[in-house]
Amino acid sequence: MGVLDYIWLGIIAVFQGPEAFSVFGIAVSITVMMVLSGFLFGIVVGATPGLAGPFAMAISLPILISIFGYSPDALLPVMGFLIGIMKGATIGGAVPAILFNTPGTPDAFMTTLDGYPMAQRGQDKKALRVAHLSSASGDTFSDIVLFVCAPFLAILVEAYLDLPEKTGLLILSLSFIAAVIGGSPGKGLISIGLGLLAVYVGTGEDFYPRLTMGADELSRGFPITTAVLGVLIIGAVFKGLDETWRESRDGKPAPVVSDAGDQKLRWPDIKRLLPHISRSALIGTGIGALPGVGSTLAATLGYSTARARYAKTKDTGAAAFGEGAPEGIAATEAANSAVSGANLIPVLSLGIPGNAAAVFLILATETIGGFNPGPSVFRFSADVVNPELVVAFGLFTCMTIANVFNWTIGGVFMRSMGFMIRIPKQLLLPSVLLLTLTAIYVQETRLEAIWFALGFGVLGYFMRVLTISPLPFVIAFILGKSLEETARQAYSATGNDPFFLFNNPIALAFILMSVAVIFFTGRNAKKAAP
Amino acid sequence: MPAPPRSNLYIGLLCIALAVLLIFIWIPLDTDSGIVEKVRGRFAIGDALAPTIAAGFILFGGVLLLVFERNAPIQSSLTRSHLSFMGKLFAVTVVGLMVMRFAGPVAAESANLFRAEPIEYRLLRATAGWKHIGFSLGGILMVAGIIAIVERGFSRRGLLTAVLAVLAMIAVFDLPFEDLLLPPNGDV
Repeated sequence: MGVLDYIWLGIIAVFQGPEAFSVFGIAVSITVMMVLSGFLFGIVVGATPGLAGPFAMAISLPILISIFGYSPDALLPVMGFLIGIMKGATIGGAVPAILFNTPGTPDAFMTTLDGYPMAQRGQDKKALRVAHLSSASGDTFSDIVLFVCAPFLAILVEAYLDLPEKTGLLILSLSFIAAVIGGSPGKGLISIGLGLLAVYVGTGEDFYPRLTMGADELSRGFPITTAVLGVLIIGAVFKGLDETWRESRDGKPAPVVSDAGDQKLRWPDIKRLLPHISRSALIGTGIGALPGVGSTLAATLGYSTARARYAKTKDTGAAAFGEGAPEGIAATEAANSAVSGANLIPVLSLGIPGNAAAVFLILATETIGGFNPGPSVFRFSADVVNPELVVAFGLFTCMTIANVFNWTIGGVFMRSMGFMIRIPKQLLLPSVLLLTLTAIYVQETRLEAIWFALGFGVLGYFMRVLTISPLPFVIAFILGKSLEETARQAYSATGNDPFFLFNNPIALAFILMSVAVIFFTGRNAKKAAP
Repeated sequence: MPAPPRSNLYIGLLCIALAVLLIFIWIPLDTDSGIVEKVRGRFAIGDALAPTIAAGFILFGGVLLLVFERNAPIQSSLTRSHLSFMGKLFAVTVVGLMVMRFAGPVAAESANLFRAEPIEYRLLRATAGWKHIGFSLGGILMVAGIIAIVERGFSRRGLLTAVLAVLAMIAVFDLPFEDLLLPPNGDV
C-alpha cells in the first residue's frame, strides 16, 4: 500500500459508502449528503446571532450517533456533517455582521467594521459577495496546507518523539493554550488546572475512585459530554441570556437596507482584493496551526496588516478601512476562515484540539471509536491497511467536498439568510438549553449527567463573567487522561526515572519552552497594566 | 478617583487557597495511593500525582494573577446582579428538571386513584403519551420560565415557544428512534 493507494481508498470510502439515493442510476453517497446538510445547517446557525458552529455540533452529535450508531462506518457521515457545520458557520457568521452590525460568530466582529458601513451605503450584497469570496479562498488555502502538513508533522512526531518527549509536548501545548487563549496566562492556567482536576475525578488506577469523597455518583467520573457541553454550550447559553436580559433589546427593529449601485463582484474588484485575501490566508493558516490561538486573533492581525498596507496604496476617494472598504472585509474573512482548516493540523497530527470546533470533532471520534486522532493515524503501513489512515483521507475528501459546496452554492445560500437576525435570542437560547440537556440525556441515559452538565454550565457562566476562557478547561479535560497515561508509561519506560522530563534534551526543551511562554506572556500582561 | 479594580487579586487568592486545600487536604485524604508508590518492589506513579499537578496549575495561575495581572486595567468582577440572575436561572432549571423527573410517576399514581388495577409508571415509560408527560411539563416549565425571567414577565409568546420547542424535541429525538429515551425515562 503506497500513499496514493491510501488517498484513493479515502476518496472511495466517501463516494462509494452507503447510498443515500441515486440520480439517473448514479448513486449519491450518504456521506456527501451529510456534508451538504451540515454545511447548509452551519450557514443557518452562523447567521443566527447568539448561536455558533459549536452549538450546532453539540446538539447534532447525539442525533447523528442515534442515526449512524457506534460502528467505524459511522465516522465519515458523522464527521462529514460536523465538518460541514464548521465550514458553513464560518461564512454564515458574516451575514448579520454585514447586514445588521451584529457578528453572528465572535470571529466575525472585525467584519462589522467595513461590512456594515458598506451595507449602509446600499452595497450589502456586494459586501456579502466579498465576504464569501474571501472566506472560501482562505478556507480552501488552509485546507490544502492541512492536507500537506498534517501527515508530515505526524510522521516527524512518530519518528523523533518518544514517551518522555510526548509528555513534554502535551505540557507545552497546555501551557501555550493557557498563555494565548483569553489574553491572561494566569487565568488560562487556572482554567487548565480546573479542567485537569475535573477529568481526574473518579478515574485512576487504584480500586478506590479518587477525589470522589465516597460518592457513588462520581465513581465513574464526569462523562466527557457533560463537561464539554456544560462548560462550552450551557455556560454560553447562560451568559447569552444574561446579556440579553441586561440589554433588554426587546422590540429593537432590525435595520432595513435598500440596495444601491452595482452589487456584482467584477474581475477588477477581485484583482484588487486578491493581495489582501492571500496575505490574510497566510496569516490565518499560520495562526490556526498553533493550538489554542483562535480565529479572532487571526482576523485582528489580518485586518491590521491589511489596513497598514492599504493606507499606502489606496486610490484617492476610495473608502478607508473602517468606513466601508471591501479590502477590510476581505482581509478579515480570509484570515478567520483560514484558521478552521489549519486548526486541524494539531488535532490530526498530535491529537491536540486547538479550538471549540476541533473539540467536537474529537468528541465525535471518542464517542464513535475506531479513530484516535494523533500521530499514529498517519502510519503508512505497506502490508496491512491502516483503517485510521483511510478515515483521515476520507475526512480530507469531506473537507474538499465542503469547499466545492462553499464555492458553488455557499454564496447564494448565505445571502438568503439575512432574516435569521429576527429570531429573538431570549426565545432561542432557552430552547437551546433544553435541547442541549436532552441531547446529553439521550447519550448518557441518566439524570446525573444532566446535573453534572448543569453544574459545569454554571461554572462556565462564572468563568465567562470573570473573563476566564472556558476553552483551556475543555482542552485540558480532553487531554488530561492522555497526559497522565503518557507520563506513567514514560516513567516506566525510563526505568522509573523521576526526572525523565529533564534527562531528555527534547523533553527538557519542551518544558523550558512551557515555562518561557507563560513567563513572557505574563510579563507582557504586566507591562500592559499601568 | 475610583478604586482600582481588584477582582484579579481576589481570584488569585481564592485559587491559591483552593490549591493549598487540594494539595494538603483533599488529594491526600481522597486518593488511595500517593504521588509515587512502591508496587512489587518497583516505584510507580500513584493516583495522587495527576490531581496534584492539576492543583499546581491552579496554584501557579493564582500566583501569576497576583504577581503580573493584579493591576490589569480591565478586570471583570462578579456582581450581585450576576449572582441573582444566575440564581433565578438555576432555580427555574432545577424546578423544571424536578417536574420532568416526577410528573410521570405522580400522574401514574394519580390515575391509580380511579382504577381498579393499579399501573406502574416504570412499565409505561415506553408508551406514547405517558412517556411524554414528564418531559413535556418539565421542558415547558423550564423554557417558559427562563423566557419569563429574561423578558421580565410571562408572555403567551414565551409559552408558545416552550410548547413548540418541546414538540420539536419529541419529534427529533423520540418519534424517529425507538431506542432513544427522553428524560427521565432511563431513570424511572
